[in-house]
Amino acid sequence: MLNVANAERSEQADHAALITLVETIEALSATRTIEEVAAVVRSAARRISGADGVCFVLRDGDRCWYLDEDAIGPMWKGQRFPMTACISGWAMIHGQTVVIPDIYADDRIPHDAYRPTFVKSLVMTPVRVKDPIAAIGAYWAVGQTPSADTILKLETMARATAAAIENANLYAALNQALDRRTFLLRELDHRVKNTLASVQSIARQTLRTAPTPADFTESFESRLMGLSRAHELLTRQGWERTDLRDILEAALQPFGGLADPRFTARGPAITLSPETAVGMHMTLHELMVNAAKHGALTAASGQVGVVWRVEPPQAQGDETHNLVLEWVERGGPPVFVPKRRGFGTRLLEGGLARDLGGEASLTYQPKGLSYALRVPLSDRVADGARVA
Amino acid sequence: MIVEDEALVALMVEDLLTDLGCEISGSFGAVDEALAFLKDAAAPPPALDGAVLDVNIGGTMVFPVAERLRAAGIPFVFATGYGALPRKGFEEITVLNKPIEPHLLEDAVKGFGKAA
Repeated sequence: MLNVANAERSEQADHAALITLVETIEALSATRTIEEVAAVVRSAARRISGADGVCFVLRDGDRCWYLDEDAIGPMWKGQRFPMTACISGWAMIHGQTVVIPDIYADDRIPHDAYRPTFVKSLVMTPVRVKDPIAAIGAYWAVGQTPSADTILKLETMARATAAAIENANLYAALNQALDRRTFLLRELDHRVKNTLASVQSIARQTLRTAPTPADFTESFESRLMGLSRAHELLTRQGWERTDLRDILEAALQPFGGLADPRFTARGPAITLSPETAVGMHMTLHELMVNAAKHGALTAASGQVGVVWRVEPPQAQGDETHNLVLEWVERGGPPVFVPKRRGFGTRLLEGGLARDLGGEASLTYQPKGLSYALRVPLSDRVADGARVA
Repeated sequence: MIVEDEALVALMVEDLLTDLGCEISGSFGAVDEALAFLKDAAAPPPALDGAVLDVNIGGTMVFPVAERLRAAGIPFVFATGYGALPRKGFEEITVLNKPIEPHLLEDAVKGFGKAA
């Protein structure tokens, strides 16, 4: 009779343990973050294993991070140890469960770290056998060999935990992608509206100075195409930083580009932020159109030199480096100071220089027009060699 | 007064305001330049009747300028390309969307009182 009663009680206990395990697996499958996974493991692992303490260890590069614990006395919660100097590291490196009936008889255990704790025996099982990402430890205050059943339950729980961690990582990646999408849409909206405002400005200003509708159309379209080419260049660069020389090449391209022997271009690598690149392109575009319509490029023997350099600080105590860019035309028809300040002139003198807190000047000498821009180096205009 | 980091847009706003009979007391492409112009909130530049402020100035928010203008009792509007503008503390300020509708700018300037 006694045996039958014992068997019944044992069967009931097995049943209850199985229910706990199933409930834990269900709870793990509903988690969305590593913290939630840790909370489920923490609350269930002791009941499932009957241990005096459990801990949940995450692999953090070459360290073991004791993320959470539930025990009769303090263990190592929040601490990190080298993979090679703790038993959770051993379990993760070897991808197998380790059972230690007497920790002080096992030299894989860092005994000093255990002395302040209650622990006398343990089971450590890796989470995900292939390339483990975590480990679950169960600890007892007495020296003993845990039953095969206890080890199997812990390993089952570890398998469910592995799946839950994978889910949490996927979920985090998905959320990140959704946030990125929202951010990009907002950014796109912002860029489009700013670009439209630029087009609005170009239209109004071109209209102001155009003597005839035909002149307006020609100038406006030329500027619009310039803006479009600047955007094309930026899209090719993924809206990241753009090199000054590439911007120059893009601005000159409709007029034969740098291959035209009348051009010389020389200067170090300078990288510009996307917005500044658009401004620089507009500036060079205006200079180019003017040279082709009225300046040096109307003559076969004309010359356009574009030279830029980084100028070190000029005064003591000043640490600002400047970009100095000069556009010099020679060999064209004689140049006169224009009677009116058109849009091009205003943009050249007030555009980039104003945006970047520098200065710009147009000089109308009979032998040719020249333009000089001097702006401080910053995030927006940076020394390419230094950025790289 | 204008604070706007895109020169093209700044040129247009300057023209629009000039056409409305305003004089441009200052046009700045950076927040610190604008703050320097307003350095004494108790004694703002005498000719300053109002301001048009872009919100994101080369990555820096224009709000310190807005606060100084408010402290000095000078009216202002925002002009921005951001649809939903984070502007805690400035909910009552008019926002002009970019591209800018000239008649809305005109209404804003009329609101400034002395100008136009």
